[in-house]
Amino acid sequence: MRDLEVVPLPMVMSQAPSEDHSEAELMRQVAAGEIGGLETLYDRYHAIAYALALRITTETGLAEDVVQDSFLGLWRNAGRYAEDKGSVKGWLLAIVRHRAIDSMRRRRNGVTIGDETEEPLPAALTLPDIWPEVAGRLDAQMIRIALAKLPDAQRDAIELAYFDGLTQREIATRTGAPLGTVKSRMRLGLVSLRRDLVSIADGRDGASSLSLNGAKGER
Amino acid sequence: MNISCDRVRDLASGFVLGALDPAEMDAVREHMTSCAQPHPELREMGGVVSYLGGSLDPVEPRTNLRAAVMAAIQADLRSRSPERVAAVAEPVAVAEPQAPLVLTVLKPAHAAGVISLARVRGLRTRRAAVWITRAAAAFAIVSLVGYAVAVQSDLNRAHESQDHANTVYSYLQLPGARWAALTPQGGNKGVGDAVLLPSGHVAVWLHALQPTKGDEVYMVWLSSDSGPITKAGWFTVDDRGEGFLTMVNVSPSDSLWLMVCREPNSTVEKPTGPAIVTGTVWLYSVPEATPTR
Repeated sequence: MRDLEVVPLPMVMSQAPSEDHSEAELMRQVAAGEIGGLETLYDRYHAIAYALALRITTETGLAEDVVQDSFLGLWRNAGRYAEDKGSVKGWLLAIVRHRAIDSMRRRRNGVTIGDETEEPLPAALTLPDIWPEVAGRLDAQMIRIALAKLPDAQRDAIELAYFDGLTQREIATRTGAPLGTVKSRMRLGLVSLRRDLVSIADGRDGASSLSLNGAKGER
Repeated sequence: MNISCDRVRDLASGFVLGALDPAEMDAVREHMTSCAQPHPELREMGGVVSYLGGSLDPVEPRTNLRAAVMAAIQADLRSRSPERVAAVAEPVAVAEPQAPLVLTVLKPAHAAGVISLARVRGLRTRRAAVWITRAAAAFAIVSLVGYAVAVQSDLNRAHESQDHANTVYSYLQLPGARWAALTPQGGNKGVGDAVLLPSGHVAVWLHALQPTKGDEVYMVWLSSDSGPITKAGWFTVDDRGEGFLTMVNVSPSDSLWLMVCREPNSTVEKPTGPAIVTGTVWLYSVPEATPTR
């Protein structure tokens, strides 16, 4: 397999949105035990957090438990937040997704969410977000447009992993595709998605700042 | 399991989506802690993953979720060290505008009676238990006398109230009993006591409550240490304004936070109504106690 070459994105804004700074300040407040900071973050992100929890769990009660548990996790771990590792929204949604998937697995195993122990987030969910400047200008509709542009197989592979918490092997079993194909679909899907999101956010159509040189698989 | 950089690149998409087997996830993490080579593919694809959730349209949950979240935060805050608690401004409004729910955190003077959990365990002596029992009993007696005067016009009712008081008083006499004052919140009326026994028995006794109507109940919610809020039981209140509830099998803990909310019915699974009273059962230290270590 040849390496996937990724070319750094150009800066599309000279500086990060001011909201990022206020978010960092809010997280400092939360880390200091000031509830007002958490209230502001809740008011700002509870609806998207609940939407994600509901999408994964499909049950309102369980989704509410997940959101409550996620904000409690944010409250308890605010001191671990690093501004250069990504937005608070991205971090919160990573927590929500992690706990929602975990709660579904626990429910399948007959364990309630209240029995959950505090676990560190997987490293995969706390990777630095290198393009907050772009993401800050993306809304849900733009992201859906970019997802819709992906081939069905690539989009399905990504969504089965992200929203349903399936592993690549489980996706291969469910879809009947070879494991290597599932890996390729995921990789190409993510690379294409990033390219399209940048193009949409930057007002360009079809322009790409991301090289797919060496990427193999289907498109 | 040591894996190569090429293998990490092969696994990158599955890693950022959390879609690898646990052993593979661990292998990538292990590699990244020691590898000197850059792995931009992880950052690039990871950045995309962090915004997949943003493809959804926001959905408004039930309005009481905010109150439940903030109540959980308050419970967590109360379980922390007294220094941390004392640093927080009070009171803190945490509820929907339509149904104000104000939870007052421990006052600094109150928190000053609480010490670190490790030290508390060392100070948990018989002398402390006696001191706590005497102090709490004295408070209960004063409360009982005042209340008895107020209700002596109706002896039958007074007898029932006396039974409640006797129960609370008998609890306070038992070794290891811990007591908490339940204080009114958010402009609501209501005051009372809660006693927790090492056996897991809890008695809650409240006065000056507004009568319940229809299916309305007063629900008692508990949170042990930093754990989740659980539904403990409910009671109704007539025009006497008195509420009483005993519970069993409550796990003894370093702190037990109680919140009594007025709820529309007894089937609610989360706090929905305004908090009427709250209180925390703490372990208290006594100056003359000697650490046992």
